[in-house]
Amino acid sequence: MTPTAAPSTRTVRIFQTTDMELEQRLAEAGLNFSLSEARKVATILARDPTVVEAHIFNTMWSEHCSYKSSRGVLKEHLPTDAPHVVLGPGEDAGVVRLCEIDGKSYCVAVAHESHNHPSQIVPNEGAATGIGGIVRDVYCMGADVVGVMDPLRFGDPNGPNAERTREIVHGVVEGIWQYGDALGVPNLGGDVYFDRSYDDNCLVNVVAIGLVEESEIKRSRVPEEARDVPYDVILVGKPTDPSGFGGATFASRILDEEKTLSDKYAVQVPDPFLKRMLTVATFRVLDLFRERGVAIGFKDLGAGGIACATSELGAAAGLGIRVDLSRVPVAEPDMTPEVIACSETQERYALVVPRELTPEVLRIFNEEFELPELCHGAQAAVIGEVIAEPRYVLEHKGEVVCDASTEAITTGIAYVRDASERERGLVEPDVPADLGLVAAFLGVVGSPNVASREHIYRHYDGEVKGNAVVRPGEADAGVLAPIPGENVGVAVSADGNPFLGALDPYQAGAAAVAESVRNVCATGAVPIALTDCLNFGNPEVPEVFHDFVEAVRGIGDAARGIGMKDSDEPIPVVSGNVSFYNQSAAGSAILPSPIVCCIGRLDDLSRHTTIGFRNAGSAIYLIGRRTGELGGSEFMRSVLGAMGKAPATVSFADERAMAAAVTDLAERGLTQACHDISDGGVAAAVAEMTLLSAPDVEIGARVDLAAMAPADGTVGVPEACRLIFCESGGYLLEIAPPDEAAALEVFEERRVWFRRVGETTEEVGIVLASVEGGDVEVPVDAMTRAWTGGATEVML
Amino acid sequence: MTKSMPRIAVIRFPGMNCEEETKRAVVDAGLECDVFMWNGPTSELVEYDGYVLPGGFSYQDRVRAGSIAAKDEIVDCLFEEAERGKPVIGICNGAQILLEAGMVPGIERGRVQMGLATNIMPDRDGYYTRWTHLRVANDGTCATRAYERGDVVPIPVAHAEGRFVSAEKGLIETLFANDQVVLTYCGPEAGEAREFPANPNGSTKAIAGISNPEGNVVAMMPHPERAARLYQVPGNLAGPWGARKREARDAEAMFGPGPGLPVMSSLAGFFGAEPREV
Repeated sequence: MTPTAAPSTRTVRIFQTTDMELEQRLAEAGLNFSLSEARKVATILARDPTVVEAHIFNTMWSEHCSYKSSRGVLKEHLPTDAPHVVLGPGEDAGVVRLCEIDGKSYCVAVAHESHNHPSQIVPNEGAATGIGGIVRDVYCMGADVVGVMDPLRFGDPNGPNAERTREIVHGVVEGIWQYGDALGVPNLGGDVYFDRSYDDNCLVNVVAIGLVEESEIKRSRVPEEARDVPYDVILVGKPTDPSGFGGATFASRILDEEKTLSDKYAVQVPDPFLKRMLTVATFRVLDLFRERGVAIGFKDLGAGGIACATSELGAAAGLGIRVDLSRVPVAEPDMTPEVIACSETQERYALVVPRELTPEVLRIFNEEFELPELCHGAQAAVIGEVIAEPRYVLEHKGEVVCDASTEAITTGIAYVRDASERERGLVEPDVPADLGLVAAFLGVVGSPNVASREHIYRHYDGEVKGNAVVRPGEADAGVLAPIPGENVGVAVSADGNPFLGALDPYQAGAAAVAESVRNVCATGAVPIALTDCLNFGNPEVPEVFHDFVEAVRGIGDAARGIGMKDSDEPIPVVSGNVSFYNQSAAGSAILPSPIVCCIGRLDDLSRHTTIGFRNAGSAIYLIGRRTGELGGSEFMRSVLGAMGKAPATVSFADERAMAAAVTDLAERGLTQACHDISDGGVAAAVAEMTLLSAPDVEIGARVDLAAMAPADGTVGVPEACRLIFCESGGYLLEIAPPDEAAALEVFEERRVWFRRVGETTEEVGIVLASVEGGDVEVPVDAMTRAWTGGATEVML
Repeated sequence: MTKSMPRIAVIRFPGMNCEEETKRAVVDAGLECDVFMWNGPTSELVEYDGYVLPGGFSYQDRVRAGSIAAKDEIVDCLFEEAERGKPVIGICNGAQILLEAGMVPGIERGRVQMGLATNIMPDRDGYYTRWTHLRVANDGTCATRAYERGDVVPIPVAHAEGRFVSAEKGLIETLFANDQVVLTYCGPEAGEAREFPANPNGSTKAIAGISNPEGNVVAMMPHPERAARLYQVPGNLAGPWGARKREARDAEAMFGPGPGLPVMSSLAGFFGAEPREV
């Protein structure tokens, strides 16, 4: 490294300061990294950093950008590679091969993130910019976004913070539709849970799925060609404003209600209109590069703004970048260089393009698409260039305000955090022998965590782009036809039961994988990739960190244990995000909340399967033995009012066998309907299959509990509850009688545990047979009311 | 002399987001189609034989949905071309623009006589998406010629402002009398949709689409391009189209025509069965 004189500008004095002095300086400068981190910056630079450098390090070393607590754990436990993986974690989005048609290799790009803190402070804008950010991660791979999904976790809508919680629910859903619908990306739904642990920290996770031809994938790096010909750095989009300054560091600390006012400025301002035009124009520009056959670098501006994006573009190639911050189009006069460099203004991209094409690129953005006319101050502008020496140089009004090696800026830091298992002190109540089974059934089906999400998803435009095949409410996963005119489907589901996190974070991680895999398989699609978003409290608390490590271990084991169909490869985890510090100032952390998204491939769209029963007189098969545990189940919580102790554990071998069996059945056209068993157990599954049954006919179901039980004869109420409310993994299948023999062959061949547990009937409602004291009838009207109204009430 | 298919321009106003799938549906109906930029030269625009204004959020729905785009220069050109008898279909945001430009109902030239107001829905507000059933009330327009009067057609809606309203006394009655009401929301069996959600936005007399008196300009809220092929139809939809989706067992069936495709075929039919001579 060439020693540098400190640039002739304001510096943060770190050398020769006492801890107390330094602490004060950092606070004055609005820097929130630790004293030791500050001193490390000075050591790396071998001088005091400039104010701009200090802010860049402060951002790059935030938990949000650096993964300083989590990186080692992720690397140790998660399988990220498989033969069909094109790009694993590390880029803005992971990329896997989907299919080959006419010699073209089509790939799916997927990114998964959180926007939790912003959504708690300003729900609408926070959730909107969550979508805004995640789609940029996919667009900047050169992929077109074909779907987004939002897993949401909210506080208790009937608890002590009910009013604020309901405001947040409303604001978040509104932010999602206002942004996503206007941008024109189909929303495939997601999942929703309510729990008091999210009162002070809602979770707004976002997933975006894109389609890209393998040869057209763009990288977040300066291309090798830049060693030989001059390359410019072009910034395009919204003029840079102070919004989102400090956003990455804000996301990396505990929320303090008293600071919420100042935190509001750390949340970016969404503009889906500009994003839409920016996106259309960008694809036009990418076409230009393809026509001319030139290599470029392309990166979205997210956390850390210009500084983070441009330094990483250079570092990835071992080249340097020089940016003149005075050339950055700004929204306000007199912005300081550190704000220009680090603000997280939305709707911006950085492009690294050969200088000879620069005029044409600027013309497309600024004249053909009239960006400056459409949005005040929006434009494409050259802000810098690629330099041979691997240095990151920022100038402002003729002064050098940052000059450091790109490697030093982007290498980051790591911590080994302490982990220790928490004392849980869990107890589990017995199921009372005189419990009313019908009331329990309705209580589970009508719980806000199980009931229909129709009120929410009717706000979401799932059909823009014309690629929707299966919408929310039709099947366990969303299914779309991403390649126009081609008979290939992509199925997507995101899952993560937080109550398992309360009992056993390892199981929570494993179960999140298992459930997302089941949901995808229940549509007939074969899993090809996973992503994860790991939402936890403060990692500096050893118990929280232990929860985190366990959850990651569970995800990794499940990804390997379930694995790709008919292959020894794991289902690769190709992208993800860690969100720590979901903890309020009062000290309460969220339940450990690993959320996993599974992407599946359908080779023939006509073989997709859905939830609703098709006909009366079909056989109902259960696959997946009921293991009987009720810990963390919806029944335990909403009926017995307890969390319980032992959750159902995931059997990787069984999940693998079942996944193979249900996708075989779908492929052979043997499935009339298929639903995975998860929250609410067999009870919720059979209720939903009935409630979502084919229109124009009336269909009910008769389920024989003796057929599910290990022993013959009638079952008592506690036993019945363990059969129908246990949430161990499995599927319910409707099979037409002429197809039963062929289905049995598949079950045998795949070695799954199965039982024929009942039939669909012409009488509406559900009958639970072989219960001591006679058949139990769940009336259809009450069931419909409970299920359709259970979560809607929360939204009003 | 070369024979050539009619060419349709799908107009991209800034903020629209349904251009590509609308173009696909037009092409599926056997027409040539280009996406045409709002700031493109009108000398080129007039060369097209017909126009579709797709859905989206033109100019961010600033002021009112469609109101800014309606004042774009390109709309003057569309107005003139429509007066020469060329077909123009506005879908969703495109419909909002046609109303705001006074191209429909167009009883008085260029006067804004109707609006598309905020949805009225019990217990909810904002955007609403749902598959609706539509009854074809006039099968003579550029968007409905390929249907029969009385046909029940499932097509989805997705909007926050789709309620046809007018402050002009007697206008709605006049529209019915003139056969300018083209599509109305109905139940799966053609009964009038009086209630939400069959009438998804509280539209006056369940109106889903109207035309100008000549029938060559149609503004409709539902999105036919989202119902152009069978795979797009929900399997849980009531009526024969839902059953067809459930029973589709091969790619040919899945990618076969959907209930909304005849909207685009109507555009083709507008030019006669044979390709026009140029």
